[in-house]
Amino acid sequence: MPTSPEVFLPNAMDVFKTLAWVIAGVLFISSLRGLASQETARRGNGYGIVGMVLAIVAMLVAGSDHEVSTLSFLIGALAIGATIGVVMAQRVAMTAMPEMVAVLHSFVGLAAVLVGYAAYLEPGHAGIDAAERVEIWLDVLIGAITFTGSIVAFLKLRGSVSGKPLLLPGRHLANLLMFTASLGMVVPFATMAGTEALPFLLGMTVLACILGLHLVAAIGGADMPVVVSMLNSYSGWTAAAAGFMLNNNLLIITGALVGSSGAILSTIMCRAMNRSIWSVIFGGFGADVPAGGGNGAKVEGDMTETTIDELTEELRNAKEVIIVPGFGMAAARAQHAVRQLVDILRKRGVNTRFAIHPVAGRLPGHMNVLLAEASVPYDIVMEMDEINGDFPNTDVVFVVGANDIVNPAAQTDNTSPIYGMPVLEVWKAKRVVVLKRSRGAGYAGVDNPLFVSPTTRMLFKDAKAGMEELVAKLMA
Amino acid sequence: MRIAVVREALATDPLPLETRVAATPDSIKRLKALGFEISVESGAGEAANFPDSLYVEAGATIAADARANYADADVLLKVRPLRQREDLDAHEVDLVRSGATVLGFFYPGRNTDLLERARARNLTVIAMECVPRISRAQKMDALSSQANIAGYRAVLEAANRFGSFFTGQMTAAGKVPPAKVLVIGAGVAGLAALGTAKGLGAIIRSFDTRAAVREQIESMGGEFLEVTYKEDGDGGGGYAKEMSPAFLEAEYALFRAQAKEVDIVITTALIPGKPAPKLWFKDMVELMKPGSIVVDMAAESGGNCEVTVANEVVVHNGVIVLGFTDLAGRLPTTASNLYGQNLVHLLTDMGGAKGWKVDFDDEVVRGATVTHDGQITWPPPARPAAVPAAAPAAKAVVAAAPVAAVAAPAPVKSSGHGHGKVAREHLGSARTAPLTWVSMAILVVAYLGLSTAGTDVQGLHHFAQQLTIFVLSCFVGVQVIWSVTPALHTPLMSVTNAISGIIVVGGMLHMHGDLSKPAPLLALLAVLFATINIGGGFLVTRRMLRMFHK
Repeated sequence: MPTSPEVFLPNAMDVFKTLAWVIAGVLFISSLRGLASQETARRGNGYGIVGMVLAIVAMLVAGSDHEVSTLSFLIGALAIGATIGVVMAQRVAMTAMPEMVAVLHSFVGLAAVLVGYAAYLEPGHAGIDAAERVEIWLDVLIGAITFTGSIVAFLKLRGSVSGKPLLLPGRHLANLLMFTASLGMVVPFATMAGTEALPFLLGMTVLACILGLHLVAAIGGADMPVVVSMLNSYSGWTAAAAGFMLNNNLLIITGALVGSSGAILSTIMCRAMNRSIWSVIFGGFGADVPAGGGNGAKVEGDMTETTIDELTEELRNAKEVIIVPGFGMAAARAQHAVRQLVDILRKRGVNTRFAIHPVAGRLPGHMNVLLAEASVPYDIVMEMDEINGDFPNTDVVFVVGANDIVNPAAQTDNTSPIYGMPVLEVWKAKRVVVLKRSRGAGYAGVDNPLFVSPTTRMLFKDAKAGMEELVAKLMA
Repeated sequence: MRIAVVREALATDPLPLETRVAATPDSIKRLKALGFEISVESGAGEAANFPDSLYVEAGATIAADARANYADADVLLKVRPLRQREDLDAHEVDLVRSGATVLGFFYPGRNTDLLERARARNLTVIAMECVPRISRAQKMDALSSQANIAGYRAVLEAANRFGSFFTGQMTAAGKVPPAKVLVIGAGVAGLAALGTAKGLGAIIRSFDTRAAVREQIESMGGEFLEVTYKEDGDGGGGYAKEMSPAFLEAEYALFRAQAKEVDIVITTALIPGKPAPKLWFKDMVELMKPGSIVVDMAAESGGNCEVTVANEVVVHNGVIVLGFTDLAGRLPTTASNLYGQNLVHLLTDMGGAKGWKVDFDDEVVRGATVTHDGQITWPPPARPAAVPAAAPAAKAVVAAAPVAAVAAPAPVKSSGHGHGKVAREHLGSARTAPLTWVSMAILVVAYLGLSTAGTDVQGLHHFAQQLTIFVLSCFVGVQVIWSVTPALHTPLMSVTNAISGIIVVGGMLHMHGDLSKPAPLLALLAVLFATINIGGGFLVTRRMLRMFHK
């Protein structure tokens, strides 16, 4: 314990440290605040960096009784870690952002577990009491769940393991047992003196790791935006728990900020997918029998296919065009080709905009980042609420690799698993063209009546190849 | 095929004279494109400001002989129902050749004798007012095109006789309040009147028995007046049905209250095939301020107001009651142009000159044809009700939509957008409630847990402080995050990733002592991983944010 309660006379260094941390906390809040709009976002990120540097420097300068040897190790670790992070950040492709975010979550979880163990094994000047042991226990528990959960999410997002939900029989009971067991271990752990209870801590860590693996493994690929934001939230809570454990207010503040941020994102995602937040927390919801209670009405009718030539003609005659991108665009890395198309259309005076569904892609805001990467100006990238009223006046809606987010059954068919989910009302437009790799259903496995609607035309192609062909044709 | 256009008004006619004409130079060009030959009676367009020369320019011939013009025509285009031509000493029904087609207003319900005479002459009569009010037929709906004009003119006629401004004004001499205009019946004419009155600056309000028009009235900036009694008066086809006595009582009470307040009342209530309902009674007129105006747009069908006299200006108790039946005709050029276009669309629907066919499978043609092949084909067989009972609200809007489309050039704002916004706001307020409860619960449980665990008072106090900071930070977080634009949710995740790397501080705190011991080593590893997060998170956020540009 660096700041033991017995010390009532604060020295100058302590004051400096406390002040630096308060400022860092304010900077972190300003950093998030900056993200309210694109104009202030970069400055916001800057605030975050300044805050972080300030916190670390304060710690280095006024930290504690660092000896020279440990100090050099410490600085070495900081340098190596920062370098690894920078290299990762520079190398990552924008389409791989979900994986990057997931792996970073896992590092927070891992660090929290390590800090928890360190705090337990090296209790500092004063011994630790039961309350502090409970805090350590909490820190390690959340940290371990975040760690392994994020690893599984990372592997699923990378495609290294199947996106299909792993559904063991009695998985809810297993989760409950593991959770209760971990919970139960807190009693011997908190009451045993010294480090005698280490086996309990280790046992709990193992259980929590399995729990994290299992929770996320049970969730399907399409529900990843919720999972990733949920893990984002967990990583915040784990930092906050570490703050309690270490009596460090900066950690508590920052953890709470991050935790609530992730929680809000998860709730937004849940609303957008019409799922309850509780089913996400307890996992495996992606495969449960949906609220609608059925598989939805079978879609009858024929899809009408179109050709690049026909689509070119239609786009040439259109005045209002809306593009709806989905995961298919990200998977095919078609965003640059899409931007070329938009450039051509806008040069011709066609009002071309994008409609983004909150859960399009694998990460909240994923589509926005991909379009920004392709230099699409953000003022033509609209949110669902902003643009849903404009579809009736739209000549051509171009759906690129999206399915469930444009499914009218969500509004009309109360037996559909996605009934009640807010969707982009593309079917109200004069013409809908769906660019899709195959005839299959979307991730939710639901038939889409949009595809057989009389105003819909299907273009079965890879998003990137189809888009490039289209661009070539339009330029000709 | 030859189309004839004839003079609608004669000097000998009783007033008001018909000013409109069934074809204008514009519509002649389009009729020619459909393959018709057109001959126009000399002087037919004069009252609508279309001299013969313009018709010739558009490609029509001017008929020298008025009788021959009738006799040679395959199709006769009319505005008013067939009538006696005093100057030719013959009835139009006898002037056209047997078997010809006549398009124009006809009112078969009122003109049963004429209907019989047309049948006997083997004419095909297509009554423009009988065109069904379905969305496909909007462009042929002459009632709507004319009602729109009439609604506009009704307001101007009222303004012409009204002793004050429509718009409120603050002048050096004093304040003038804005005029209050009440429009009864928000159909095509009513909505046009509302729009015009609003444009002049009046305060507008409207009453209609059909709840579905509320949105349209409000979209024009009008107030939708309601009675407390619940009953929907949608009678299908954009008309209202007759209401129950209890409802009418409530309605009249509302009118009496309004009569004392408003300056101008415009009534537009019509029930198809029946005399106009009386709804503005003598005592309501007497309740109005002297100098107030009533424009009775239903005067031709008997009037909505008890004191109305058709085609006359009545002053009752100082209140001016206008019973003009020629409101649309007072804008003769535009009225003729729009009517002419309605006819062109209908003739196009019938196949033009080449594919000419009176096709009874065509719902529009069937509905409008009142005599054909020596048969009276009026009224047409009932078509399936346009308003299925299952979805009254949604369908009712659709039924009234053609009315709005013609009457209100300002597009009715889609409701989809509005709902989204409302939902979002609701979401925002709902967000904090569960959070409050959850944090309260955590507080209580933690307190109880710690006090039973035997933590000393100081420790408990310390914990309480930390918990306070935690809970407050959560609330700050919620407030701040809620304002983050959804487009930046991915950068938000990566930046929160980076700042959760603050756990590095925890590692650093434990980095003391001998590195060969496990604790400092673990802490060192923690520092390493946390810094990856910091470096990676901030940099990737920066990369992403740099890409966003306008």
